[in-house]
Amino acid sequence: MSEFDVIVVGAGPAGSSAAIKLASEKMNVLLVDRADPPGSKNISGGVLWGNDLEKIVPNWNKMAPVERYITSKGVGFLTKDSSIDVNIKSRKFLQGVTGYSVLRVKFDQFLAKRAESAGAMLVSGVTVENLAFKDGKVIGVVQEGDTITADTVILAEGANPRVAIDSGARRPIADQDVAIGIKEVVKLPEATINERFGLTSKEGFAGEYALGFLEDGVEAGGFLYTNRESISLGVVINMGHLRADDKTYSFDIMDQFTDHPSIASLIENGKLSEYSAHLVVEGGYNSFPKQYGNGYMIVGDAAGLSFSNGLMIQGMNYAIASGILAAETAIEAKKSSDFSEKSLSRYKEKLMESFVAKDAYNFKGIEEVTWGKLAHKIMPSLMEDVLVNMFLTDGTPKKHLTELIRKAMKENNVKSSDLLMEGYKMIRRM
Amino acid sequence: MKVEEKLSLLNYKTDPEYAHITIKPPICAVCPDHFCTFACPAKCYTLLNGKLNFKYEDCVECGTCFVACAHGSVTWTNPKGAHGVKYKFG
Ligand SMILES: Cc1cc2nc3c(=O)[nH]c(=O)nc-3n(C[C@H](O)[C@H](O)[C@H](O)COP(=O)(O)OP(=O)(O)OC[C@H]3O[C@@H](n4cnc5c(N)ncnc54)[C@H](O)[C@@H]3O)c2cc1C
Ligand code: SF4
Ligand code: SF4
Repeated sequence: MSEFDVIVVGAGPAGSSAAIKLASEKMNVLLVDRADPPGSKNISGGVLWGNDLEKIVPNWNKMAPVERYITSKGVGFLTKDSSIDVNIKSRKFLQGVTGYSVLRVKFDQFLAKRAESAGAMLVSGVTVENLAFKDGKVIGVVQEGDTITADTVILAEGANPRVAIDSGARRPIADQDVAIGIKEVVKLPEATINERFGLTSKEGFAGEYALGFLEDGVEAGGFLYTNRESISLGVVINMGHLRADDKTYSFDIMDQFTDHPSIASLIENGKLSEYSAHLVVEGGYNSFPKQYGNGYMIVGDAAGLSFSNGLMIQGMNYAIASGILAAETAIEAKKSSDFSEKSLSRYKEKLMESFVAKDAYNFKGIEEVTWGKLAHKIMPSLMEDVLVNMFLTDGTPKKHLTELIRKAMKENNVKSSDLLMEGYKMIRRM
Repeated sequence: MKVEEKLSLLNYKTDPEYAHITIKPPICAVCPDHFCTFACPAKCYTLLNGKLNFKYEDCVECGTCFVACAHGSVTWTNPKGAHGVKYKFG
């Protein structure tokens, strides 16, 4: 007899969602997190997109500590001197479901507590060291030399899953699987935020930016999200590009972003309250690692289930969805008393049928484009030249748009064939 | 603001007994790229007179250096329970 039906390693959105689902179906669950309180090591941009939590925590958005509901969305191309922004504010955002900005320390604690009140045993401030194996099957976890047993272990360790990697449950991380995320939280009065972004107190703005001003081919994206009384902003830097360059420091990119005139004006007179960093998973469909085996399943970031293209990051919603699917699988496995790899392969099937894998599949390859030259270099500088020339009053008659585009392409060394090729790739992938 | 000043805003429960990340100095001594010094957002890896200096105390546990070092010098483990960085907002 195992001590627990399920041990969940990690109380981020993936692990806590799994534990809430399991405990509410009367499964005997242990939820362990190395942070005390759980959530105090976790960061994200962070907008929680979608409404997956509704399945396990009805009316969660009325109870959870959320910051603002996103009613205004922006995409910006930043060049050295200019920014070209497209902002959308739509009534449709109020009718459908967009997302809520959240601050993870509070939010993750709320979820972990929900798991506890549903009946899970929550242990914080304890680091799981390894998986325990018997006859090639996972039978529990090891902590300070002691084995705690369970029929199924759900690994929800996040983007740097030491237990999953060190025990051989999944392959190690490569450059193309991750990006470096750096974030700052800047305090500002609620009224100032409302005024600057044209919002009411409950409404929020979410902006993503292509950083076209970086030199030497480093490609990075920026984000800026409004909280009630602060702004979360940061950068996501492609690991491979930073490696290929041999003089750019990750932390300098963060400063260049916050110093950019159009970002600096949004955080002016704000007080820096926190600096943080975390790997961002951006692998996508083509690089999913193994996600289950004899006696275990891997969920959330640890399973490569996050999507980022350098412009937009989604991970919390996939973490929650995958946690729920793994929990369902563990419940079914208990009914048939079969915790083998074959039985737990239902988890993979469920994932493939869900929006998680479908999103990843639809976007497979898009990272090549959005991280590519078009979004980060060509478009920003082209648009800058064209638009600046169009609106600059220099006393001469305005040229025709196509002529301006041609001139800008020449000055930016862009061949029409490149633009066509990149444009075609982008459209095809989208 | 310098990274050092930004880090001073953070709370850490430093474990004086256990360095959760270690490097192998002989590998770093012949490293051709020192990519860790460019990648680490908390400036834990610095070059002092050409020699790599690493301090785990400022680490925010982002996981970057584990991937960044392509030469097998970095051993990355989780800090002991409840130790390390402790964010207020996240
Ligand atoms: C800069 C940045 C911006 C982002 N922006 C967004 C965004 O706007 N929207 C979005 O949806 N996603 C965003 N993401 C991605 C999102 O944060 C992740 O996809 C999400 O947190 C994954 O959830 P998880 O539960 O899988 O892992 P995590 O949230 O990382 O949780 C893992 C948990 O496991 C614990 N743990 C790890 N190892 C052990 C162990 N051995 N023993 C005990 N406990 C352990 C950790 O303490 C942690 O609590 C962003 C990420 C970053 C870095
Ligand atoms: S840690 Fe790795 S990248 Fe850094 S100096 Fe040592 S060998 Fe080079
Ligand atoms: S985990 Fe991150 S913060 Fe810590 S030393 Fe490595 S790169 Fe630096």
